[in-house]
Amino acid sequence: MRDKFNEQLEQLNVELIKMGALCEEGISAATKAMMDQDGTLRETAIAAERETDQKERDIENLCMKLLLQQQPVASDLRAISAALKMISDMERIGDQAADIAEITRFIVNSPVTSRVSIAEMARSVISMVTDSIDSFVRKNLELAQSVVRKDDEVDEMFLNVKNELIRRIGQGDDGETCIDLLMIAKYLERIGDHAVNIAQWVEYSLTGQHSED
Amino acid sequence: MTAKLFRTSMAVAVSVMALSIALFMGMLYQYFSNQLMAELANETLLVARGVELEGLGYLDDLDTENRVTWVAADGTVIYDSVADPAAMENHADREEIREALSSETGMAQRFSSTLSEQTMYVTQRLEDGSVIRLASAQKTVAILLLSMVQPIVVILVLSLLLSAVLSSRLVKGIVKPILSLDLEHPEGCDTYDELTPLLSRLKRQNDTIRQQMALLKQRQTEFSALTENMSEGFLLLDRQGHVLSHNSGALHLLGVEEPDGEVNVLVLNRDEPFRQAVDEALSGKRSRQLLHLNGRCCQLLANPVLEEGKPAGAVLVLLDVTEQEQREELRREFTANVSHELKTPLTSISGIAEIMQSGMVKPQDIQGFAADIYQEAQRLIALVEDIIRLSQLDEGAENLEREPVNLLSLAQDVARRLDSAAQRSNVTLKVMGLSVQVDGIPSVLGEMVYNLCDNAIKYNHPGGTVNVTVAPTQQGAELTVEDTGIGIPVEDQSRVFERFYRVDKSHSKAIGGTGLGLSIVKHGASLHGAKIHMDSQVGRGTTVQLLFPQTAGGAKE
Repeated sequence: MRDKFNEQLEQLNVELIKMGALCEEGISAATKAMMDQDGTLRETAIAAERETDQKERDIENLCMKLLLQQQPVASDLRAISAALKMISDMERIGDQAADIAEITRFIVNSPVTSRVSIAEMARSVISMVTDSIDSFVRKNLELAQSVVRKDDEVDEMFLNVKNELIRRIGQGDDGETCIDLLMIAKYLERIGDHAVNIAQWVEYSLTGQHSED
Repeated sequence: MTAKLFRTSMAVAVSVMALSIALFMGMLYQYFSNQLMAELANETLLVARGVELEGLGYLDDLDTENRVTWVAADGTVIYDSVADPAAMENHADREEIREALSSETGMAQRFSSTLSEQTMYVTQRLEDGSVIRLASAQKTVAILLLSMVQPIVVILVLSLLLSAVLSSRLVKGIVKPILSLDLEHPEGCDTYDELTPLLSRLKRQNDTIRQQMALLKQRQTEFSALTENMSEGFLLLDRQGHVLSHNSGALHLLGVEEPDGEVNVLVLNRDEPFRQAVDEALSGKRSRQLLHLNGRCCQLLANPVLEEGKPAGAVLVLLDVTEQEQREELRREFTANVSHELKTPLTSISGIAEIMQSGMVKPQDIQGFAADIYQEAQRLIALVEDIIRLSQLDEGAENLEREPVNLLSLAQDVARRLDSAAQRSNVTLKVMGLSVQVDGIPSVLGEMVYNLCDNAIKYNHPGGTVNVTVAPTQQGAELTVEDTGIGIPVEDQSRVFERFYRVDKSHSKAIGGTGLGLSIVKHGASLHGAKIHMDSQVGRGTTVQLLFPQTAGGAKE
């Protein structure tokens, strides 16, 4: 009975790693699609979103099964409830990555300079997502906490991009493209927040303490 | 074992006790019923005497626990102490009555229809021929026996307790030597003789296990020594994807730290190609993927481990193919370049020839076109010669004769050959220094110096200078070509020794050359074990230094 439980916990862990990897792929494909105007990468991001949705349902079922059949306690219960919370954040990351991919269709000839600072922001966000998943995979508390700290940087970057875009609209650049870029920046900022959530749930499953913003 | 022994001895004690009590009770029952019958017969005799003397009045006053019946000689009941005699049927056919009538006394044990229970009867014939009968219920015996139960139970409990204590002591005594056996070293144990074969067998098996463990440990050490010394990464997975064995090379290539305990392989890496390869291998298919890890390129070979045709795990091998990939990239570039370089002059020649063939050229222009064809053909020849030279250097120029070469006179010779070219470019070419000998291949060394000087002249400003200096050093000899030319940008400095690499791609045709010169210098230098130092600043000039190692005959003259 316990063997089966451990096996299922292990399976949950593996599925979460896979879902995390899907999120990383989705977001990096979406930002690459934005930089290189690559249609196939756009499709990759959208396909990754569908897969994350499926994974979310699978993991949810697995968690429910574990909760009902095994009635876990202590750290096992924490791990499972943290998993349940984490998958919804991961699913949101997948969705927002797909949204970014959708928007990239409409920004074919955008002002390059502003894209550069968006690229920097995207890099930071991707590394936050990667670090949050890594902290889960390696059960690394320090890494999880570093993700939480990094969120301030990304917020700062978002403000910079926003100011830059406002300036560009003032200078008479294409307003529609600028607003599209602003939305991408906002999505990236949200993805950063979800990465922070994931990191906090990792922290919770490791220590039993959940720090609120 | 203790429990079983205890149970058995207790069962023996209890069953012996139960059996003896049953026998005892059976015998007691017999005794009591005989006793009862005798008492009944005595009492009957007394009652019969009483009735003979006093008649029915005696019976009315009689106080007895037993049932008394007076039956007339014809079987009619005259008196009964329990039932109403008028209602009772004729008793002449009763066994005990008949017996008494015939032989004075009688007795019987049967079911009484009057009292509806098993009853003992005793009868006595009176002198008038009537019969007195006394009856006692048989349950009286049982009641007597029951009165014995209490002491029996006490005895039973006491003896059970006693036998429990005794059996547990006995069992402990038997088991103690067995428990005190030293199973690790069974040979020196003092115990039952019956256990000796078991113990010697145990000893043999212990020895076998020890040997096999030692062998296994040795194998394990050998295996880990083998895998640890592999530069390739190695991972062994079980059916669920847990890492059973790994070497440090794998961790190094994947850029992860030593995992604690048995972890799933996805903890080490979760990239899409990696996951795909692992999935395929665990489902029984071979797979090969290229991974990009931390800026390096890794070839991942995933092979399933099959057990009776079913996948039981997987072996992953990681190879660092970064350099191979880079070399492959260079080779592709070289092939593309060489075909391009070869095709350009040929296209010109073919184009000019086509115009001439169509007769569109005036006879007086033919000379000019021929000159063009000649020039292009010369370029082609130079290119092919350079390629041949390079491939000679590639294919081990070891078979070329080495001999002592005077670097100074070699440089002076090259300078003479380039004199006219230098004059055309308005560049001063000077050779200075001391005469130094190195051991080398004259034609290759000449080619190297020629190419360096040629470049120094070609990429120079009009009125510039080229200084060739030859000097002995502590390590051997050095040859420096210094120019005041256009210089090489920093980002291109590492690439100019590549084949066909041009800093200024757009003007290559105007300047001429094949793009292979410095490549030949590089190969020549490696053939002679020489080092190349390049120092260049854009607009200021370039200095290329060849440092030759000490050779046997290489001494200052």
